[in-house]
Amino acid sequence: MNPYVLAILLSSLGLGTTLTFASSHWLLAWMGLEINTLAIAPLMAQHHHPRAVEATTKYFLTQATAAAMILFASTTNAWMTGEWSISNLSNPLASTMFVAALALKIGLAPVHFWMPEVLQGLDLLTGLILSTWQKLAPFALIIQTAHNVDPLLLTLLGVTSTLVGGWGGLNQTQLRKILAYSSIAHMGWMIIVIQYSPQLTLLALGMYIIMTSATFLTLKMSLTTKINTLATTWSKNPVLASTTALVLLSLGGLPPLTGFMPKWMILQELTKQNLPIIATTMALAALISLYFYLRLCYAMTLTVSPNTTNSTTPWRTQTTQTSLPLALFITATLGLLPMTPAILMLTT
Amino acid sequence: MLKVLIPTIMLFPTIWLTSPKWLWTTTTAHSLLIALTSLTWLKWTSETGWTSANTYLATDPLSTPLLVLTCWLLPLMILASQNHINPGPISRQRTYIMLLTSLQTFLIMAFGATEIIMFYIMFEATLIPTLIIITRWGNQTERLNAGAYFLFYTLAGSLPLLVALLLLQQSAGTLSMLVLQYSQPLQLNPWGHTIWWAGCLIAFLVKMPLYGVHLWLPKAHVEAPVAGSMVLAAVLLKLGGYGMMRMMVMLDPLSKELAYPFIILALWGIIMTGSICLRQTDLKSLIAYSSVGHMGLVAGGILIQTPWGFSGAIILMIAHGLASSALFCLANTTYERTHSRTMVLARGLQVIFPLTAVWWFTANLANLALPPLPNLMGELMIITTLFSWSPWTILLTGLGTLITASYSLYMFLMSQRGPTPNHITGLQPFHTREHLLITLHLIPIILLVTKPELMWGWCY
Repeated sequence: MNPYVLAILLSSLGLGTTLTFASSHWLLAWMGLEINTLAIAPLMAQHHHPRAVEATTKYFLTQATAAAMILFASTTNAWMTGEWSISNLSNPLASTMFVAALALKIGLAPVHFWMPEVLQGLDLLTGLILSTWQKLAPFALIIQTAHNVDPLLLTLLGVTSTLVGGWGGLNQTQLRKILAYSSIAHMGWMIIVIQYSPQLTLLALGMYIIMTSATFLTLKMSLTTKINTLATTWSKNPVLASTTALVLLSLGGLPPLTGFMPKWMILQELTKQNLPIIATTMALAALISLYFYLRLCYAMTLTVSPNTTNSTTPWRTQTTQTSLPLALFITATLGLLPMTPAILMLTT
Repeated sequence: MLKVLIPTIMLFPTIWLTSPKWLWTTTTAHSLLIALTSLTWLKWTSETGWTSANTYLATDPLSTPLLVLTCWLLPLMILASQNHINPGPISRQRTYIMLLTSLQTFLIMAFGATEIIMFYIMFEATLIPTLIIITRWGNQTERLNAGAYFLFYTLAGSLPLLVALLLLQQSAGTLSMLVLQYSQPLQLNPWGHTIWWAGCLIAFLVKMPLYGVHLWLPKAHVEAPVAGSMVLAAVLLKLGGYGMMRMMVMLDPLSKELAYPFIILALWGIIMTGSICLRQTDLKSLIAYSSVGHMGLVAGGILIQTPWGFSGAIILMIAHGLASSALFCLANTTYERTHSRTMVLARGLQVIFPLTAVWWFTANLANLALPPLPNLMGELMIITTLFSWSPWTILLTGLGTLITASYSLYMFLMSQRGPTPNHITGLQPFHTREHLLITLHLIPIILLVTKPELMWGWCY
C-alpha cells in the first residue's frame, strides 16, 4: 500500500481511539468510533481479495449498526434527561442499549457471529489491529457506563461469551477463526467483572492484548494460517515453536504464566462479591478454550520429529521480518505473573 | 531453603552452557550435590513446628520427607533418561533436562510454600513440564490422549479448588498455613459448606488419584518416558496427598461425615485396581494401577484424620514413591532392550540378568509391603486406624493386601522366573548406570527401616 495512504489510515486509527478516550460527550465518542471503523476499512480490504472485501463489508455493517445504536441511545438519553455526558446515563433504556451496542462492537456473545468470519478474511497484521486496538475505544466507553446497567445483563453476556468462545473454537482448523473465538472468550472474562472492579477489566484487556499480539506476530513470523501449516513452524524457527506452545498455554490461563493473572484476579473479585458459582462456571468454561489451545500446541511443538511428521518440511529461508516486538510480547506473555501487584497498581 | 532452591535454579544456566561432552555428568553430579544439601532439612528444630528463615517458604516435618524425596529424585531421573535421550540433538537433550529441573524447582516451591495460593500456583505449574515430557518425549501415539487426560482431569479438579481457596481467603483474611491452623473454620450455609469442602479436596483426590477419577493415571504413566513416569509416581501423586493433609486442618468438623464416601471409594479402589493388575499384560500399566491402589490407601489414611492415619500416609507416600519409581526404572530397562512393554515378551530374565533379578525381587517385595520395609509400616498403620474407625474395613484392606501381594508376585514370577525364551538370550547386559539407578532407589528404602522417625511427620 502507498506509504502516505498507510500513514493516513494508521494515524486516523490512532485519532479515533484517542478521540473516544478523551471525550465526555456522547457525540464525540461516537465520532471517534466511526473514524476507527472508516480508517480500518481500507486496511482490511487492501488486498482486494473477494474474501477480504467480504470481511470488510461484514465488519462495516456490524460496526455501523452498533454506532447507529449508540447514537440512538445517546439521543434517547439526551431527550429524556437532557444529559449528553458519558458517565451520567440515568435512563435505563439508554444504558441497556449502549451496552448492547458496545457488545456488538467488541464481539461479545450472543452478538459475536461477525467476529470469526471477519477475522478469517483478514491478513494477520490487520487481524491483530482488529483484535487489540479496536477493542480499546469501546472498552473505554463501556467502563464508564457499566455501573448504570442491570447486573444480570453483564453477567449473562460474560458467561455466554466464555462458553461460546470455548465451544465455537473447538471445531476450527483455521487459526484466525480460533483466535476470534479466543477473543470472544476473553471479552467474556473482561465483561463479567466490569461491574465490580473496572481495574480488573483493564488488567484483563491489557494482558489479553499482550498475549494476542504475541500469538498473531508468531503466526506472522511463521506465515501460517491453518493448523496444517502450523506444523511446519518447528523447521522454520525451532525456538519460536517451543515458546509459542507456552504462549498458547498462557492464553489458556495456566499458572505460572501471565495468562493466569487476570483469571485469578477476576475469580478473586467474583468470590469477594459472593458469586462463587459464577466464578466456578467461568473457570470451567475456560477449560473448553484450553482444549483447542492444547491442540495447537500439539500440532506445533509437541509432535515434532523424530516422531512422525504430519506435514511437509519447507525450505528454511532467512526471515526479513523484525522480531523485536515478537520477542518482547512473548517475554511479557510468559513472565509477568510474579509482577501482579505492580501491574495492579498500574491499572488503578 | 534458598540453599537448595538457588542451586536448582542455577542448574538452568549449567544445562545450557555445559559442553555436550559433559552435559549428563555435570547435571547428574550437581543435582546429587543438591540432593545431599537437602538432607539438612531433615533436622527439625522442633517436633511439630515450621522451620524457616522467612514467612513465605518453610519446612516442617510433613513437607521435609517429600522435599528430600523430590531432590533425591532429580539425579535419578537424569541417570535414567540418559540412554534414550542421548542419541538426539544436543538442544533437545538440554531442553529435556531443563524440563526436569523446572519440574524440580516448582516442586520445591510447592512443598515449601506456606501460603496456600503459592502452593496452588506451583501445584498447577508442575503440570506444564510434565505435559511436555509426556506428549513430546513419549513413545506411542496414545501419548497425546494421555497428555490431554492428564491436563484436563487435574485442571477440572483444581479450578474449583481455586474458587474455594479464594472463598477461604475472603473469610479468614489470609491463606498462610502458619495462621490458618489457628483460625475458625469457614461458616457457610450447610449446602454451601458441603460444596466448599468438596471443592477443597477434589483437586487433590484427582491428583492422588482416588479410584473414580483415576483414569488419567494409567494413560499418563504408561505413555510417559521413564523420567516422566518416575516423577509422576514418586512425587506428583504425593503432591495430592500433601495438599490434602494441609487442607484437612481447615476442613473440620464437616469431614467427619463427608469423608465417608471418599474413604469407601478409596478402599474399593484398592480391590479393583489390584484385580486389574492381576490381569494386565502391559508391565508399566500394572505398575501404574498398583500406584492407584497404594495411593487409595494413603487417601483413606488422610481422610480418617487420626495421628496414625497421617503418619501412615506420609510413610507410605515416601516408601511407595521410592518403590514405584524403582519399578518403573526396572520396567524401562526391559523396555529399552525389547522396545515393548508386554510382559510375556520379556520373561525368564533371571537366568541372564541375575543381579537385576535381585533388584526386581527387592522392589517387588517393597511393593507388596514386606516387613520390615517402611511400605509395611505405612500400610499397617493405615489399616489399623481404619479398623479402629470401622471394623468392617478390614475386609477391604485385608483383601487388598492379599491382592497386592498376588500381583507383585505375579510381576516378579512373570518377568524373572520360568523358562527363558530364545529371543531373550541376545539382550544387552546391564549397564553400571542402571544398577546404580536401582540401588539408589532401594538403599534409601532399606535404610529407612533403621530410622523411620525421619518420615513420621508431626503426629508422633
